[in-house]
Amino acid sequence: MKLMIVDDSNIIRNRITRIASNASLKQKLPSIEIVGTAASGIEAHALFLKTRPEIVTMDLTMPEMDGVECTTLLTGIDPQVKILIISALSDKATAIQALMNGAEGFLYKPFTDDELINALLELLEE
Amino acid sequence: MSDLSEKDIEVFIEAVGGYFKKTTQEAASVGVAYLARNAFPMNDFTGMIKVSADYEGALYFSAPSAMLRHLLTVMKETNQSDENLLDAVGEIANTISGNARKYFGENMVISIPEKVAGLPSGFGQQARHYAYVIIIKWKHYSASLIVDISRKR
Repeated sequence: MKLMIVDDSNIIRNRITRIASNASLKQKLPSIEIVGTAASGIEAHALFLKTRPEIVTMDLTMPEMDGVECTTLLTGIDPQVKILIISALSDKATAIQALMNGAEGFLYKPFTDDELINALLELLEE
Repeated sequence: MSDLSEKDIEVFIEAVGGYFKKTTQEAASVGVAYLARNAFPMNDFTGMIKVSADYEGALYFSAPSAMLRHLLTVMKETNQSDENLLDAVGEIANTISGNARKYFGENMVISIPEKVAGLPSGFGQQARHYAYVIIIKWKHYSASLIVDISRKR
């Protein structure tokens, strides 16, 4: 599975990379290839066109283009792509808006390693 | 002056406590909020989130560099450059304010984080008179959360 990570925080991008890579190595997750990381919706769009990931973790609050807009853009290009929103925005309206725009899962920040692994597993099972 | 109630402030106390517990697997000691005027406890690195729509003002998370380095170590982040320490205070401020929207709702719009290293003149004074200060103790470090938010009239 090809995974792209989108978040404007470098430490969160690194953390998701580490957790997903380790879980894949320990076979807690199917084999995952991280095709790249992006710090904004605009970077994510360019990387998506270049690498065509099958799964994406997507932050919502980002400069230039936010996560909801980016989700709409990416699912418009490839309706099969599975997008997991990872955000601190905990109000119901935001989650509903993200899901209505094509995201398939929502994980709230802060998260533990196991919560991320389980959220990715659920996404892959859908 | 912040017009938030005790119940409103409890939301931020729970959010910052939850951040440390989930991220480090170790609870932080989060103090009772007090009102301060002008003299805010700012540390080496500060992240600020501005709020808008039905609310106005900002939230600040300010921490010493040693605490942030320890936090990154616990998160298995080996890059402990100033850039990543700034990233950390921004992300913590963002997470606390984002979590608070569960209670305040979508009409508390939050900005992307602004981050500052050092103690630039006037940064602490951007807060208006009488903001809530919450002291967070984790391991032997002390950080501060300053809630300078009020409802628009």
